[in-house]
Amino acid sequence: MQSFEEIDFFSDNSLTYDPQPYFEYLRSKGPAVRLPQRGVVAVTGYDEGLAIFRNEERYSSYNAAYGPNPLPFEPVGDDITDQIASNRGDRSTFNMISTYDPPDHTRLRLLLKGLLTPKRLLENEQFMWRLADGMIDEFIGQGSMEFISGFAGPFATLVVADLLGVPEEDHKKFRRIFTEAGMRLGSIDGVPPQESNPLTRITGHFYEYIEDRRKNPRKDVMTDLALTKYPDGSLASVDDIVNLSAFLFAAGQETTVRVMAAMLMFLCEDPALQARLRAERSLIPNFIEETLRMEGTVKTGFRLNKVQTEIGGVELDPGTPLMLVISAMNRDPAKFESPHEFRPDRSNAREHLAFGRGIHACIGAPLARAELKVTLERMFDQTSDIRFDEAKHGPAGSRKLDYVPSYQARGLAELHIVHDAKA
Amino acid sequence: MATITFIESDGTAHAIEAKCGWSIMENATKNGVPGIVAECGGSQTCGTCRIYVSAEWQTKMDSPTADEVSIIEFAEDRTPGARLSCQIEMKEHLDGLIVRMPEKQYSM
Ligand code: HEM
Ligand code: FES
Repeated sequence: MQSFEEIDFFSDNSLTYDPQPYFEYLRSKGPAVRLPQRGVVAVTGYDEGLAIFRNEERYSSYNAAYGPNPLPFEPVGDDITDQIASNRGDRSTFNMISTYDPPDHTRLRLLLKGLLTPKRLLENEQFMWRLADGMIDEFIGQGSMEFISGFAGPFATLVVADLLGVPEEDHKKFRRIFTEAGMRLGSIDGVPPQESNPLTRITGHFYEYIEDRRKNPRKDVMTDLALTKYPDGSLASVDDIVNLSAFLFAAGQETTVRVMAAMLMFLCEDPALQARLRAERSLIPNFIEETLRMEGTVKTGFRLNKVQTEIGGVELDPGTPLMLVISAMNRDPAKFESPHEFRPDRSNAREHLAFGRGIHACIGAPLARAELKVTLERMFDQTSDIRFDEAKHGPAGSRKLDYVPSYQARGLAELHIVHDAKA
Repeated sequence: MATITFIESDGTAHAIEAKCGWSIMENATKNGVPGIVAECGGSQTCGTCRIYVSAEWQTKMDSPTADEVSIIEFAEDRTPGARLSCQIEMKEHLDGLIVRMPEKQYSM
């Protein structure tokens, strides 16, 4: 095996199972450290990372989806703000809400905020309870299942479909679109071909919906979506609405699904904890936060430094890519006591950065939290015990768990469980 | 230029030079004031940027919208004068503003 010094975090598969020893090695060099490869500076300190998340004026999100790849331009001068703006082209990699800086970002974010009102979120949560019941009914009699493809994936898809007002008769179609699609985010295995990209198909459906509702408005959520307005009162462009809708499916899918699996994994690993949570449901929200802290899906995020600056003792020239190692910040011992221990009653668990912070902070966080809670509550309601399927994952002490190969995403590839239905 | 003083629940005060045009939340988080978590970055979904504003100062601000009120209710904070600091833009005439902060921004 290569030493941590030599390892290329962005292409090496040996770190996908457990990246924490590597992150601890980075931390031992300081809260920020320049990696020998690709000129990326990795930030593992909680305070340092939080300050970067909150400073969009100095740190651009230009490379949020582009990661550590070499910039398509040569940074010149002491402020590259203009260069960033003129090098976005029309590649989607540089033209998504998550990669925009103000004022483009502000425009899209305000549209999203208009979609995720407290009222809409409440209605969406009511849908989640119904959906979970229906979906658990599909497998409860089988005794065992692969949880990600059998529940979590389709559940997360349909929750976003409902949020956006996709008519229920089309839910089956949306479910199918995602069933075949694999992991894409920061994939070490290379980028899957475009034709298997579910988003292209989602976009097609949304163009139809929005155009139809603009011609034939009805009393439904999709009509509200079609008639969304910018803050100045003008009608939003169809492109903005369609792209944001597709983005919500992408952003809300893998992320939520892998945390759902992590949640069950912790409960399979620790039957006493499972029994305690079943008996004391009020402990569930903090258990969810601790799961997000320990196994949040977004392992790393990227920013581009715009001006000369310094972080944790490292000098940064304009144009330096920063890797915010969220999974390491969430285990910073200066912030979290015994950070590698899973403590469901940790008092500051919710201060994790699993949803990021600042202007790009996950706008789906309330939705994700509700999905995690509803899933666990309903699994508890309908089963009396959940455990690893040892035929697939092996016995305690020598478990085989595979994680998705990605430098950006963290999560189980599959989770096979055995469950006892409640009598 | 204007100033805002943020007071923690234990009485610790943080006076900052505020930027007009930014929300009160942005002024706090960008100056590292502890006690304003602002999980959602100002999208009015998290309720973790709460402040308490005296009745006198409130008369100089726009009143909260229905959505702001419902987020505060959802956070189960019934303290008088509770507002979301991300929904209040700092303006010249708020110079000298004093706000208090909750002991915890999370109800759980
Ligand atoms: C547990 C599940 C989730 C996790 C761990 C997660 C994590 C994150 C993180 C870390 C970011 C910030 C990225 C950055 O700053 O560069 C983000 C952004 C975002 N998330 Fe999530 N997310 C989750 C679920 C969701 C869901 C369910 C939705 C939507 C329905 C969603 C929609 C978004 C959007 C739209 C953004 C971009 C916001 C912007 O750039 O302004 N996420 N998410
Ligand atoms: S920052 Fe989230 S509601 Fe104000």
